[in-house]
Amino acid sequence: MTKLHFENVRRRFGRLSVLQGVSGTVLPGEALLVTGPNGSGKSTLLRCLAGILAPDGGRIDYQEDERALDLAERRLRIGYVAPDLAFYSELTVAENLQFFARLRRVSPERGFEVLDRLALPTDRMVGTLSSGMRQRLRWGWALLHRPRLLLLDEPFQNLDAPGEEGTRALLHEHLEQTPGGLAVIANPASLEIDRVTARIDLGR
Amino acid sequence: MKKNLPWLLWLWISAVIVGAFYYAPLAAKFIGKSSRILYFHVPMAWVSFTAFIAAAVWSVLYLMKGRQERHDRAAAVAIQLGLLFGVLAIVTGSLWARIEWRMWWNWDPRQTSLLISLLFYAAYLALRGAVDDPEKRGRLAAAYALLGIVVTPFLFWVMPRITFSLHPQPVVNADGKVEMDPRIFQVLLASTFAFTALFFWMHNLQCRLQALVARKTDEQE
Amino acid sequence: MSPLASTWAAEVAAVFAKEWRCELRTKVALNTLGLFAVTTLVVASVSLGPLGVSKAQGSALLPVLLWLILLFSVAAGLPRAFVQEEESQTATALRLSATPSALFCGKLLYSLTLVVALEALITPIYVTIMNLQVARPGLLVTALAAGGYGLAAGSTLVAAIIAQARSKGTLFSVLSFPILLPLLILVIELTRNAVLGDPAGMALAQLLLYDASVSIFGLMLFPVVWNP
Repeated sequence: MTKLHFENVRRRFGRLSVLQGVSGTVLPGEALLVTGPNGSGKSTLLRCLAGILAPDGGRIDYQEDERALDLAERRLRIGYVAPDLAFYSELTVAENLQFFARLRRVSPERGFEVLDRLALPTDRMVGTLSSGMRQRLRWGWALLHRPRLLLLDEPFQNLDAPGEEGTRALLHEHLEQTPGGLAVIANPASLEIDRVTARIDLGR
Repeated sequence: MKKNLPWLLWLWISAVIVGAFYYAPLAAKFIGKSSRILYFHVPMAWVSFTAFIAAAVWSVLYLMKGRQERHDRAAAVAIQLGLLFGVLAIVTGSLWARIEWRMWWNWDPRQTSLLISLLFYAAYLALRGAVDDPEKRGRLAAAYALLGIVVTPFLFWVMPRITFSLHPQPVVNADGKVEMDPRIFQVLLASTFAFTALFFWMHNLQCRLQALVARKTDEQE
Repeated sequence: MSPLASTWAAEVAAVFAKEWRCELRTKVALNTLGLFAVTTLVVASVSLGPLGVSKAQGSALLPVLLWLILLFSVAAGLPRAFVQEEESQTATALRLSATPSALFCGKLLYSLTLVVALEALITPIYVTIMNLQVARPGLLVTALAAGGYGLAAGSTLVAAIIAQARSKGTLFSVLSFPILLPLLILVIELTRNAVLGDPAGMALAQLLLYDASVSIFGLMLFPVVWNP
């Protein structure tokens, strides 16, 4: 069984205490929604869960198939979407996805699958993409390796109506069909998503 | 007993100073009374090297034993003191070089090794100054300190042997044999012990001071 | 996800290919390295005058100059391998996809090929312009290879460190020079031996030892540097 459990996660930056002991548990099929105003620590929490930021205290436990994953493994297993994720602007969309597919040791066809699904232009240089397309690319990149845990920071930002529709569908599919699929979503405002089983509001 | 250790150290150091100037005879190959510098210059250089080893050990502890702040602090303080003692060693060494060889500096391999190691310490401290986040700073500094291990054997063993050195060989103990007057050796050993103890005492004080300051700033927030 | 040896190598190859693909489209590193090296070379040869240096002076001075040119060119162009990832914010995607050891080796191979390309460009020009007669060209090539490798390996790890700090430009020089000094001392001596026709002696063995040490330490320390 897949399970994410975090307890008393704390993090400060200099004098500013951004996370002051946040806890939660997410089980398969569940989505945890984290809301709060700007600067309340939503992105910080997600970064800690993703393993790209070390918390000052607390613990984060993630297991897949009953096996606890260490930090290095967790980092490579999760799917992450965030506004500051960027890709190589001198490479095309396809080249970027191929590169990351090779890194993640998934077949290159998966890259094209994802391209199609998100209606991404294959041969456009990433540097020339609009912000909406960039967001779709982030989703595509996050789903390349069919992760079980999705960490989504403002996932529908910049997306046009079809883009949002498509990615919402992907999220629902993930929660309903992917074995052991679960998600943590951070957003300033509340989001209407079925399957949100728990909420954390970091607002002060 | 612990409270008396500093007093014991002061006593020991005083004995060393007396011994350096009155007990030990003048070394044969040195000009005039300049051999007295020996008892201070050599231990200082030794301590500078020990400081690096200590910092490397604390860096390993930091990385492998839960990233504890006290290990990171210990490593940083060790490097700071290593820099201090190293500078003193270079200064005393240059004074002596001036007397003995008529030059303040002549790129003697041992002089150069010490200088390069000081550059390394200064680089370590510059790195610490360039990273704000404590977690990042700790691991980047620890990694750099350990990278220094690649360089150390070269500086302290290889370099002094590959080129001709003006450093007096028996005194610097190149072969591990002791070819000096026993009294000179005794005072030198005693002085080395004293300086090492001094280093660890200063290190202990500085770490405790920094820990207190850190706790105070934490409480204020 | 058990890492098989062949797929680890495939990751390394992917990183290497990506580096070169990006580089060939922008040519930033190639231009920086090349221009820097050629400019320094021109300055050196112009300053030494039309008659150059005498043979005796030459064997003492010219090996040093060559490696100084290579060192400073590397310092100008190599850190970009990691600094660029941080500055264009692609580092996060890498942190979440790549096995650290494969990433390090891929970047190292890329740096190495850059250094080899630089040496291949500069050395013939240098030898010609400076009128340097090399008694043992084979040894010179060995020196360039072993020394170039050391430069690449040392620079790659230091680049990874400074990429996450402030004032990256100056910090790279400050941090890398103490690490690279032993390498330089050894390789300059080896180059001098090549010019004079002397045997390689201990310098080559020590140089190879340095290369091995810096590679092992780089590989071990990189995950600590790269990930929180």
